[in-house]
Amino acid sequence: MSGGPPKALPSTGPQSLRDMPHPLAGSSSEEAVGGDSTPSPDLLTARSFGDKDLILPNGGTPAGTASPASSSSLLNRLQLDDDMDGETRDLFVTVDDPKKHVCTMETYITYRITTKSTRVEFDLPEYSVRRRYQDFDWLRNKLEESQPTHLIPPLPEKFVVKGVVDRFSEEFVETRRKALDKFLKRITDHPVLSFNEHFNVFLTAKDLNAHKKQGMALLTRVGESVKHVAGGYKLRNRPLEFAAIGEYLDTFALKLGTIDRIAQRIIKEEIEYLVELREYGPVYSTWSALEAELAEPLEGVSACIGNCSTALEELTDDMTEDFLPVLREYILYSDSMKSVLKKRDQVQAEYEAKLEAVALRKEERPKVPADVEKCQDRMECFNADLKADMERWQNNKRQDFRQLLMGMADKNIQYYEKCLLAWESIIPLLQEKQEAK
Amino acid sequence: MNFLHMTENNFSLKKIEISVSEAEKRTGRNAMNMQETYTAYLIETRSVEHSDGQSVLTDSLWRRYSEFELLRNYLLVYYPHIVVPPLPEKRAEFVWHKLSADNMDPDFVERRRIGLENFLLRVASHPILCRDKIFYLFLTQEGNWKETVNETGFQLKADSRLKALNATFRVKNPDKRFIELKHYSDELQSVISHLLRVRARVADRLYGVYKVHGNYGRVFSEWSAIEKEMGDGLQSAGHHMDVYAASIDDILEDEEHYADQLKEYLFYAEALRAVCRKHELTQYDLETAAQDLAAKKQQCEELATGTVRTFSLKGMTTKLFGQETPEQREARIKMLEEQIKEGEQQLKSKNLEGREFVKNAWADIERFKEQKNHDLKEALISYAVMQISMCKKGIQVWTNAKECFSKM
Repeated sequence: MSGGPPKALPSTGPQSLRDMPHPLAGSSSEEAVGGDSTPSPDLLTARSFGDKDLILPNGGTPAGTASPASSSSLLNRLQLDDDMDGETRDLFVTVDDPKKHVCTMETYITYRITTKSTRVEFDLPEYSVRRRYQDFDWLRNKLEESQPTHLIPPLPEKFVVKGVVDRFSEEFVETRRKALDKFLKRITDHPVLSFNEHFNVFLTAKDLNAHKKQGMALLTRVGESVKHVAGGYKLRNRPLEFAAIGEYLDTFALKLGTIDRIAQRIIKEEIEYLVELREYGPVYSTWSALEAELAEPLEGVSACIGNCSTALEELTDDMTEDFLPVLREYILYSDSMKSVLKKRDQVQAEYEAKLEAVALRKEERPKVPADVEKCQDRMECFNADLKADMERWQNNKRQDFRQLLMGMADKNIQYYEKCLLAWESIIPLLQEKQEAK
Repeated sequence: MNFLHMTENNFSLKKIEISVSEAEKRTGRNAMNMQETYTAYLIETRSVEHSDGQSVLTDSLWRRYSEFELLRNYLLVYYPHIVVPPLPEKRAEFVWHKLSADNMDPDFVERRRIGLENFLLRVASHPILCRDKIFYLFLTQEGNWKETVNETGFQLKADSRLKALNATFRVKNPDKRFIELKHYSDELQSVISHLLRVRARVADRLYGVYKVHGNYGRVFSEWSAIEKEMGDGLQSAGHHMDVYAASIDDILEDEEHYADQLKEYLFYAEALRAVCRKHELTQYDLETAAQDLAAKKQQCEELATGTVRTFSLKGMTTKLFGQETPEQREARIKMLEEQIKEGEQQLKSKNLEGREFVKNAWADIERFKEQKNHDLKEALISYAVMQISMCKKGIQVWTNAKECFSKM
């Protein structure tokens, strides 16, 4: 991951953190961006599928647009296409090219957001803007506000402990970039969220801050009404399916938490193992200096252990950068889903309360009053949206975890393969007969 | 190295096989009449018939570790020019946390059994040591063997530590090769100790890595309970994680054999040093004898010529209390001349001894070097093979797990 041998897919992403003038001044979406897109370096999945055909060159994707061609995202798209019943994709979003900006007041990172779309909601076929984490946070809040009946994907953690984590290290920035890219892709794949006005603004506006200040008040009808749901109603009968979802999410989050702890513990043990290996290898070298006939074999063993140490370091780096963040993301995801479920409960509770109030009034009017009808409407919309999102979420979760765990298995296989190669190559050296001196 | 040659009584050579085949816990009374528990080892000797290669059990007896020690101490005294094979360690050292340092631990006992067998095989395959009578009796005479060894009086012949230390410091002209060899054995001891210490730590850490993976087994199983399509894949992958975690026990058990091979040469370094020390002693002895002789010759000369070049107490007292008579002087000169003659004889034989020692010792050291290079190369190869096997197992397990994940 950091300055290793040349990898399969090129990436301009984390290689350069150059200082740049103010992000929103220079870049313009009128610049031809086509053909310049960079694939996200999801190398491990590329290798796990081991199929060159998945890594399509620019211009090989549907709709003739040059799009990010990492095999993993491609595969995701192909599989999601199945879900959409053959619906052609008409929106592609990528996050890449992080750059550091040093200003008088602060230092921060921006990412380039590239959008390609044939949708009518977009004035231009392509956009390229730069955004910082704050902007993503704004977007997520706006989505939560305006689409409260839907599950909004999580963002990577906002706060990092200064001094413990270097916010500007290549590894950290790359990990964050991947998570932000995932975030936008999940929204892109969502049939409702991807059409959200705020999302559109995020992807296209040259000056996002101006939009933020305007305080856009384009809320959907349901959003508006749900916003004003009074709390404090007691829920009588939570429908079985939502109760089941709630229970599932509880256990799911618990298990993920455990897996996170196990993974962290493994990395910790591996690092301590690495520390010992780094002392172990050189002792053979020291010994080699004492010997004559055994000098080469001992030196060979020393070098071999050195190679294994390097392979181990790569494994722990990969697991830290690729595995743990995704786990954490899903824990955050289930947390935000729980709060959406709670909101749904409240909507139902309000409806039930109002209905009961009407029944108690013992009015003979056959029709249900308008506001109770509205409540019912609200509740049924919420239930429908949530059910649909849950199904989508379950599918995505399954793919994400399949990919994640296969990736973990892959990393370990590669580690052992590197070590195997090192030890096998030294056997002939060890068996060599010493030439007569 | 199964067939070894041994002489029974310097007349006939037999082909034999030696094995330390069993270990047994025993209780008995020790020298202070207190009850103790110890382990006894069964030594079986088989004679090999030339004609059909079949072996017949000729001797079988039980020995405990202290008897092996006694044998070795005897060999050290009677063959000081030989690099005497070392015994396996008395107490478990360089342990990593999972292994116990308890002498009664079955794994330790088993490894010690192998080490003792190895010791006997080394002695039996040594061209000189294999002809030793005491060694032969060790294999064949169960009772009274200890008394027989003690009767040789070898303890008395042993050089005292103090004498050896003195010689090491004061020797002026030891053979350069022995200086280098001593230096080498010091370095070898230091580097192998370091290696064994770090290896134990490495084993410890590796154990931790593998065992933590076992936790995945449990959590995947629990998680699979709430999943529909993902459930089977998770469950079976979890099983592979359990297999992975369990595999480390055998892997590290195998590595202990490698550590034992290294330990043997760690202890061999001490045997090398013992030979060097003996050379220093012999050389120092020689130098002292030569010095004494030179001093006596000078004394003689002074008495004969009347010149006093060196201070002597006799000279002082003579001055103080009067000259000695010419008869007394003659007597003294005669005595000195006799002593000088004796001294010259002794010096000659000591010189010869010294040269013989150097020649024989160096021959055995060359033999030892060949053996060491061969054995350690083999050890490194077997270590590499162990690592290869571990890597292959790792690849297998993770490939299986990956397949389970792919079915999620």
